[in-house]
Amino acid sequence: MNHPVEEKVSVITIFDSHTGEVRPIKIEWHNRVYVVKKIGYHHKVRMGRTLLHYFSVQSETVYFKLRVDTDNLHWTLEEVYNNESTT
Amino acid sequence: MNLPLNHNIPNIMHIDLNSCFAMIEQQANPFLRKKPIAVAAYATANGCILAPSIEAKGYGIKTGMRVRDARLLCPNLIVRAPDPSKYRDVHIKFRNIFRDYSPSVTPKSIDEAILDFSTQRYTQENLVAIAHEIKQRMKTEIGDWITCSVGLATNRALAKLGAGLHKPDGLDIITHKNLRDTLSTLKLIDICGIADKNEVRLNSFGIFTPVQFLDASEITLKRVFGGFVGYYWYMRLRGWEIDDVDYGRKSIGQQYALQHHTANPEELARLLMKLTEKMGRRLRADGSAAQGVHVSVVYQDYMHWHQGKKFDSQLYTSQELYKKVLWLFNRRPYPGKTVSKLAVSCFDLIPSESAQLGLFDRNIDKKRKVSDAMDVINDKYGEFVITPALMMGMDGEILDRIAFGRIRELEKIETI
Repeated sequence: MNHPVEEKVSVITIFDSHTGEVRPIKIEWHNRVYVVKKIGYHHKVRMGRTLLHYFSVQSETVYFKLRVDTDNLHWTLEEVYNNESTT
Repeated sequence: MNLPLNHNIPNIMHIDLNSCFAMIEQQANPFLRKKPIAVAAYATANGCILAPSIEAKGYGIKTGMRVRDARLLCPNLIVRAPDPSKYRDVHIKFRNIFRDYSPSVTPKSIDEAILDFSTQRYTQENLVAIAHEIKQRMKTEIGDWITCSVGLATNRALAKLGAGLHKPDGLDIITHKNLRDTLSTLKLIDICGIADKNEVRLNSFGIFTPVQFLDASEITLKRVFGGFVGYYWYMRLRGWEIDDVDYGRKSIGQQYALQHHTANPEELARLLMKLTEKMGRRLRADGSAAQGVHVSVVYQDYMHWHQGKKFDSQLYTSQELYKKVLWLFNRRPYPGKTVSKLAVSCFDLIPSESAQLGLFDRNIDKKRKVSDAMDVINDKYGEFVITPALMMGMDGEILDRIAFGRIRELEKIETI
């Protein structure tokens, strides 16, 4: 089951100058660090003049939907899905 | 007339994303892959299933089913609420891929498009190679879980039929050589445009199978469907193009299946306001004014009432539209009955620059400028940042959703 969260989170991202790709690589949430294994999907949404980037990412056992506001570069965790609790 | 089958190269390609919304959710969250999932309008028991995954379809779950009924078929079903911005993003990405191959790309809905190669000198083998390349690019450039089914034929109708033959990830070509064999594997209602009522019409003339439909004479089909419609079917089944006409936008509308059914007139008035505001924003963004509005109400007992009216004055601002919408709405029978669905639309669209101002309301121009200013603010700071007072506190109502059918607003967007 997906759980809505809406909490600010700490995220380490990397910019790959060869591919031009920016992606999150680690997420700290509730005092645990999750290593991002895979980016499921990345998309953008315009809210008025503000551009938001959404990253749907997967660690070993948890799925995170992250949002970054390009105005202030803050990261918000929108929802999680814990695969361990559903299998 | 005794028209032969079209022997031309099948240069119309229909591409259909498989179980689109569910597949995109599985793309985004790999833990959902190979599991029965469904995207529903609301992830509650009464929510309507919009898109079951391939795995969920295996349990007999279909679009239109209630979540509670789907869970009876599959207790482990994972239900997701829609994420329209993600689906629009995928749509724009695949549409941009398609435009690399054909100058004529017509999106038919959020998950289907037609590529017309008739002005390009491709062989059938070239087009098959293009289809495979598109499939691969969708995996590489959109997501590794994204698949589509492709149909190639000499016209749009048969290309769509081809795209529906093998799902997921199919590629089927229908030509004059295999048309009859292909039709022999199908039922009448497998043909787009033939549902229960048309099936009964055909049956009443002794036509029970698609092959019999193909073999029927032009005269018979004109008797079945009447005049031109029968003629179009005669042409369509033989692979001749009839459907490459863009009739232009005739109306703009919004509909809403209420999460909480109600008969409360104040709540219904507020919902109508939000629907009208959304409709009005789209109308003005289209550069149009309207001359008529239409209101539709579905009650909790499934009774349906609707009425439309054309007016002498042109309607442009949300206020102008709302006055007419509410006037029509108040004419509904059974005002005390609980409502489950509302829809508003405006029709007879004209360019807003040519809209005439009324003789007796000198404030019309001022009101329209205020409306335009509100649109500029909402465009800049976000949808519904500034709204009519009646809409205060309605953030969680009438959420963003994807319409069925062609979405003309998306066709103007190159990238988000």
